[in-house]
Amino acid sequence: MKRELQLALILAIVGGLLTTIAFVMAFTTASMQHHNTVVNAPGFIDTVYELAPPQLQPNPPDGTVNYHNPWFSQKIFYFHVPLAQLSLLVFTIAAIFAGLFLKFRDPKYDIRSRIGMETTLLFTIGTMISGSMWTRASWINSWGELGRVLLSEPRLVTYTVMLMFVVAYFVLRKSVEEEEKRAVYSAVFTILAWIIVPFSFAYTRLTQEHTAHPTDVLQQGMDTSNLIPFIIAIIGMMAFGYAIYVLRVAEERKRAQLALIKEDIEDKLADL
Amino acid sequence: MSKTAHVSDSKQAGSANAEPAVAAVPAIIAHNVSRSFGPRKALDSVSFKLPDRAFLSIFGPNGAGKTTLLKILATLLPVTGDGTAQVCGFDVKSEAEELRRRIGLISHNPLLYRDLSAEENLQFFAELYCIPNPKERIDELLEAVELKHRRYDVVRGFSRGMTQRLSIARALLPRPQVLFLDEPYSGLDPHASDILDSLIENIRDQHTFVMVSHDLDKGLDLASHALILSRGKIVLYDRCDHLDQTEFKKVYREVVGLGVS
Amino acid sequence: MDAPNKDMNSSKSTASDALPNLSSWRQYKALLRKDIAQEFRTKEMITSMGLYGMLVLVIYYIALSRTGTDFDITTIAAGLLLLMIVFTSMLGLNRSLIHEHDQGQLEALLLAPIDRPIIFLAKATTNLLFLLVVQLVVVPFFYVMFVSGSMPILMGDVTPGPWWKLAIALLLGSIGIAGIGTLLATISVNTKGRDFILAVLFIPVMFPLLLVLVAALNAVIVGGTGYEAEFWTMCAAALGFNAIVIAAAYGLYEFILGV
Repeated sequence: MKRELQLALILAIVGGLLTTIAFVMAFTTASMQHHNTVVNAPGFIDTVYELAPPQLQPNPPDGTVNYHNPWFSQKIFYFHVPLAQLSLLVFTIAAIFAGLFLKFRDPKYDIRSRIGMETTLLFTIGTMISGSMWTRASWINSWGELGRVLLSEPRLVTYTVMLMFVVAYFVLRKSVEEEEKRAVYSAVFTILAWIIVPFSFAYTRLTQEHTAHPTDVLQQGMDTSNLIPFIIAIIGMMAFGYAIYVLRVAEERKRAQLALIKEDIEDKLADL
Repeated sequence: MSKTAHVSDSKQAGSANAEPAVAAVPAIIAHNVSRSFGPRKALDSVSFKLPDRAFLSIFGPNGAGKTTLLKILATLLPVTGDGTAQVCGFDVKSEAEELRRRIGLISHNPLLYRDLSAEENLQFFAELYCIPNPKERIDELLEAVELKHRRYDVVRGFSRGMTQRLSIARALLPRPQVLFLDEPYSGLDPHASDILDSLIENIRDQHTFVMVSHDLDKGLDLASHALILSRGKIVLYDRCDHLDQTEFKKVYREVVGLGVS
Repeated sequence: MDAPNKDMNSSKSTASDALPNLSSWRQYKALLRKDIAQEFRTKEMITSMGLYGMLVLVIYYIALSRTGTDFDITTIAAGLLLLMIVFTSMLGLNRSLIHEHDQGQLEALLLAPIDRPIIFLAKATTNLLFLLVVQLVVVPFFYVMFVSGSMPILMGDVTPGPWWKLAIALLLGSIGIAGIGTLLATISVNTKGRDFILAVLFIPVMFPLLLVLVAALNAVIVGGTGYEAEFWTMCAAALGFNAIVIAAAYGLYEFILGV
């Protein structure tokens, strides 16, 4: 127990430190990007420029680009993408624990799966907030346009569906009283959700025409100066997320023990 | 405690681990049956043997694990851990399907479709058990539970007692070797309860019975064996004709707490 | 009472050797027949779903009453149709499982020597059947009321595809809704606040299917040159989703029944 808490504390500190370092690096050492070419024009050109659909580009691409916050928008990349990837990773872990629970019926897997879902919720919300900051900063002129972008963006739709799944998961848990039933239903739902999330992505892409994400940056790789803070951010957040996970698991275990002790005391009182 | 004549191998009843007598195979063998979720144990290493054609009454306070034990033996819930249970010689886990054909359940819930007629209900269950000549069998059973005159009526219109009788017919449909009774008397008026008594009395010889009950007198009346559960553990298990009734009631009262007759 | 009772138990312990062969097909048929007989007697699911569908049409009429004659309804018709189907089927799914629940009937099914997947398949089949019967009534109404008489179609600006393509899309959608919905309804019927829980679980799970379904319906209704390619792509996508997710639901159903 004590060792776990120490580990969690160390991980939380390391994670926080790494994320901060990545944050600082993103603003200092990382170079600005334009279509895979490094340009030395901070405050002028944005990563997502030309990748956003034409009707969403605020100005014609004649060199007099007038973005609201191009500098800031590119920096969000280092937090948005790690968060998004980690939320998928944690979701997958939650689904694996759900499968383990169904196989072994051990409540510890149920607790882990549930905390995995909590962490997914955290990361998904983080992804969506940072994503909307990015969107707002790079090529959205008004909030009115935002809705249209959100509805047609495969990645964003996928995360919205994932958020719906996580919310549904907790609503479901709340509405089943019997412990084992609750655990089994939640596990079944988690696995089903995990199967469906890729479909959401693929089918949104199939039915909607465009993407607002700089996919070629993701596909073709980054400059070393960008890659370093990106990787540091991923590791930092992973450590931080794992620290939260360890803490929550320890808390839940204590809580269960406490409940047992309480029951015991009540039984003994009843016997007296 | 009327008909214990069939219980020929009764030496072992007093202790859970005793050897079964020769010849007859016990109808139920439970060995270290546990059911838990995490640290909470609904059943804790329950072991007992019940001879063929016996009538076991399970008593205990609420939450003692009576219904859990019944459901495990009826293959509705799995055993946790490495305990095993055999009913009619079939393992509840690995041979569940074979076992299911040999058991019946009469519950306080009728387990019938209320929008179907008595006959349609029985027909449906006869098909599920793939019973040959279902018509004859259904006629027999409807006659036996005295519902022949209502066979085309929808169950929704039946009284509680009639529904319970039909539910007995449903349970007997596949000619089960073991019958499980889950508080079959709850919600019955005295008359319906008498009819149920005589029905059980009549088929008493041909089946092994396991009954969960709150009603101590009723349970002891019918039983050849009695078992008291408390917090998932067996407090007492014995043959009824070895039991001193007043002693038994005393133990029961201690386990359940105050306010029980 | 003695005589019949002797008959009642003419089987002795030797009867175990002479047990009849179990036939999954016979059990499946019995389950179907039971659901259909029950529905014939009460007409509960079909009438409530059909009526609800009709009410949705009335709401559409009110909602569209101020759109004027230039309004091109064909662009949103697919969405309206989908909305109606989603709401009516959620209502029906809930009903179908409550029938197995209120008297503990499911326990009796589990007690019988049936493979658990047979229960799932039978329930999904009858749900599909009832969904299709309701759609057979409500969808033509919708089409006549809102689509076939609309200006762009009357003027010949829009030429919808043949009706059987609409039927194919609806069939694919219904298969998914019935198959996966049966699992979700079995979960939600065991919770507090059944209808609400079903909706909360249903929408995200069905999301990809509904997305391609509406695209397929739209392709047929709007028609025009080259709609076929899109229609068949979307149908293939719906088919793929159904195949994989229904297989998963089929596999997971046993866990739901086991507690």
